[in-house]
Amino acid sequence: MHIQELILRLQRFWADRGCLIGQPYDLEKGAGTMNPLTFFGALGSKPWNVAYVEPSRRPADGRYGENPFRVYKHLQFQVILKPSPAKVQDLYIESLEALGIDLTKHDLRFEEDNWESPSLGAWGVGWQVVLDGMEISQFTYFQQVGGLDCRPVSAELTYGIERICMFLGGYDNIFDLVHGEVKTDDGVFPVTYGQMRQREEFELSAYSFEHADIDLHRTLFDAFEKEGWRLLKDHGHFLSAYEQALKMSHTFNVLDARGAVSTTERPGIIKRVRDLACACARAYLEHQEGAVAPAEVTEKGGAK
Amino acid sequence: MSATQTFLLELHCEEIPARFLDRLHFEFTELFYKYLGKESVLPVGVAVHEGGFAGPSLPDFLSPRKLAWRVPGVPVFQPDQTEIQVGPPRRMCVDEASKPTIQGLKFAEKWGVDFSAVRFEQPIGKKEPCAVVTVTKQGRPTVDLLAEALPGLIAGLHVPKAMRWGNSEFEFVRPIRNILCLFGEQVVPITVDGVTASNTTWGHRLYHRQHPGPVTIATPEAYESAMESAGVVVSMLARHRRIATQLEELAAEVGGRVVADAELLATLAEIVEFPKIVRGEFPADFLELPKEVLVTSLREHQKSFCIEGPDGALLPCFLTAANRTDDPAGFVKAGNEWVLKARLYDARFFFAEDRKLPLSARLEKLMALTFQRELGSYHDKTGRVVALTKALATKLSKDDDHIDRALEAARMAKCDLRTLMVGEFPELQGVMGGEYLRHEGAHEEVWMAVKEHYRPVGAEDAIPATPMGCLLSLCDKLDTVAGCFAVGLIPSGSKDPLALRRAGQGIVRILWERGWAFTPADLVAVAVRVVGAKATRPEGETTEALLAFFKDRVTYQLELAGYAGSVRRSALAAGWEDLADLKGRCEALSAFAEDVRFASLAQSAKRIGNILKDEIAVGDFDTALLMQGEEKVLAEQLSRLEGTTDQKTLLAALADLAEPLEAFFSAVMVKCDDPALRAARLSLLHRLRQAFLRVADFSLWQ
Repeated sequence: MHIQELILRLQRFWADRGCLIGQPYDLEKGAGTMNPLTFFGALGSKPWNVAYVEPSRRPADGRYGENPFRVYKHLQFQVILKPSPAKVQDLYIESLEALGIDLTKHDLRFEEDNWESPSLGAWGVGWQVVLDGMEISQFTYFQQVGGLDCRPVSAELTYGIERICMFLGGYDNIFDLVHGEVKTDDGVFPVTYGQMRQREEFELSAYSFEHADIDLHRTLFDAFEKEGWRLLKDHGHFLSAYEQALKMSHTFNVLDARGAVSTTERPGIIKRVRDLACACARAYLEHQEGAVAPAEVTEKGGAK
Repeated sequence: MSATQTFLLELHCEEIPARFLDRLHFEFTELFYKYLGKESVLPVGVAVHEGGFAGPSLPDFLSPRKLAWRVPGVPVFQPDQTEIQVGPPRRMCVDEASKPTIQGLKFAEKWGVDFSAVRFEQPIGKKEPCAVVTVTKQGRPTVDLLAEALPGLIAGLHVPKAMRWGNSEFEFVRPIRNILCLFGEQVVPITVDGVTASNTTWGHRLYHRQHPGPVTIATPEAYESAMESAGVVVSMLARHRRIATQLEELAAEVGGRVVADAELLATLAEIVEFPKIVRGEFPADFLELPKEVLVTSLREHQKSFCIEGPDGALLPCFLTAANRTDDPAGFVKAGNEWVLKARLYDARFFFAEDRKLPLSARLEKLMALTFQRELGSYHDKTGRVVALTKALATKLSKDDDHIDRALEAARMAKCDLRTLMVGEFPELQGVMGGEYLRHEGAHEEVWMAVKEHYRPVGAEDAIPATPMGCLLSLCDKLDTVAGCFAVGLIPSGSKDPLALRRAGQGIVRILWERGWAFTPADLVAVAVRVVGAKATRPEGETTEALLAFFKDRVTYQLELAGYAGSVRRSALAAGWEDLADLKGRCEALSAFAEDVRFASLAQSAKRIGNILKDEIAVGDFDTALLMQGEEKVLAEQLSRLEGTTDQKTLLAALADLAEPLEAFFSAVMVKCDDPALRAARLSLLHRLRQAFLRVADFSLWQ
């Protein structure tokens, strides 16, 4: 199946089941959870169903476009269902069938895999979904986001798009995947993932591991942090402040890939991102619903 | 209707983390029995007590989506219960004319009896007669009791990592989606978090793709067969056995045997509802990877077993469990093969990348890897381990080349922490360093030592096979323990986050099994010196704490070695520091453990201890002063004892002393009036005790 066909089918499936179809957020980020549609959407009491594709960057995973399985940037398909429906597992299974997976011939397992994002002050419990031995999705019941308890609880489903496509097509190399077909008067031209992305993988890997200016990134990290707190404190603006937290997070990831973050330094840096993100979450809830219950500090990340 | 019925409760959930299944099952069983005990409806053969319960074990109905309890023999009716109720004193219940007062009448009314049924007795603990009635509480149908109590019992389960879902505030391990609850054929009407119990449940997901609608369970006894037809083997043990059998068969088909891994086997039994073992292949050229890498990669990433041939070399095959009855289209096999290939490709990439540089190139990079905040980086640690190795190796060997190789191994030991492979599989630390050194052509002693220096990783694991491996392991652990103590990281109670006790035990085991002549005090002295300026606590305090710590480890080592309590106590009290000597004494004492003379010896030893408690006895005395036959015999024996060095002979001599000692104590008055004689007798006893203490403190025997 072509990548774009897989995305279209998932969007159609979830739109038919009452999800808004959202869009990627135009800032670098490591996972679809960081999109405000999820980060803020999972907070508060109002119902919220949304599905969208999120290109996700993990600088340390870059392999210069040479590794057939691992890439700097991959696509996540993210679904948030709030409150989590009683038949959420069945819904998920139906979505696999909508992709043409005949479950009567495959092995499907939900294996414990609890998720946490220390930089977002978020954690949940759930599973990795394993199809014939391959992890194809992450399934999480959010318990906290931004250091705040989720009430009601959202279910988050994250599909690894390239992985599922490779698996369904039996591809041994991610760059051989076909994104889609270009049809012109002169004929039909399939376009591969490699044609679209391999050079990008090479350059962005080289940037992350070799060329990124460490001093500049350290300066940027501090500046984004300062900017974020200024926006939040002086103006009460949690959306623009949250963007600064996202930028801090990505800047940290670049520094990390460059080998510029020591093990001892790491928790402190992550905490600086988390502090800003958690403050944004509280400001959002106060804006939406008035008073916010005091954040509970939990063993997993939690507030402060 | 019979007098007892079988109870069945099944909580059908979304996939429950396997690690919680057992304890949730056990904990509910205990809560349930305690409740039944309180209500006097315990099943036949079950007893509850403060600490728990005793009775036949319940079937292990634990599967990824099911926690179920089937309890046979539960009485259908609660027996009527009579209770004695005590009321106000007699004087307040009746007036002078023996007529009931208002208070007396109220007491009778409270318990629903006529005043004529009120008796006056003096209950234990009261100073005067009080109003007393015997009340009969009518027994209720057990099903009613269950219906009332179960929701609270279920909600009262302690769930280690509880979650909420949907709109509810209810917390459990995973969402409960169905409740099956039967008492005999009768449904127990309970509702938990909006889920109402019935006599139906759900089978395997795949089963319901062809059979919509739930499965009816007519009776508790029909549960596991009905579930098996719906694709779920509910007993964990049954799944475990089926997996073990299939693994064996499928490995034998390709002429090999499974590389055993009890933990992985248990995991597979926990995560599938119906086990089908699938055998797949991987390209044979991956066999160039070290065996440990393949086994670890297959286990960690794919929950798969390796198969080894008769020569111990791996075959290019793997075995894994599918959660279904068959693999009709071969998709499960093909899918697992595909994923495994991707994983092995990664492993091969790491193996190739790591070898582009010699292992030693990572030594400098260890500076950026923190070992512990106060103790510095792994580079610092390596320096200390090298220093310790130097100090100890020179005592074990006079061969300079040999010592140089030990130092080389110490320098290389931690380098693999900076390799990609160990980054991916932390459990391969040590193993990879050894493998990379072997590929570089290092001396076998060196790469073997590095490879094994984390061993023993637990009580079950062996110490390194080579002396150099043992030395490196000992020095590494010694630095960790001494370093942590020197900066105040000392285990206490159940808190030992850095697993220092395990490291300490490793050190003691190596000394114990190798028979090396270092005492813990020797080791502590050199280690404290090597930690040097990194220490944040005074050296004396650290040394003292370390010696106490090692004494505990040695004590535990004697338990591990399986010596009887009396042997351990008495041998330890006579000195614990020289492990080889301690081991010899324990062995010798164990050989005499059944000898009845030792009980008498213990009595005499205690008497000697008591007599000498407040006395200052000197070693020398004039044997000519001794007058009585009993004491002369002892004095002769003493010189024999003092001349014996072999511990077995010494013990035999001590055993022979039991009778003369008894005779001595019954005939001789030690603290006599003649000061010279008294001093001589005290000295005799003192020297006897010294002779005893070379082996054991017999006053602690028994």
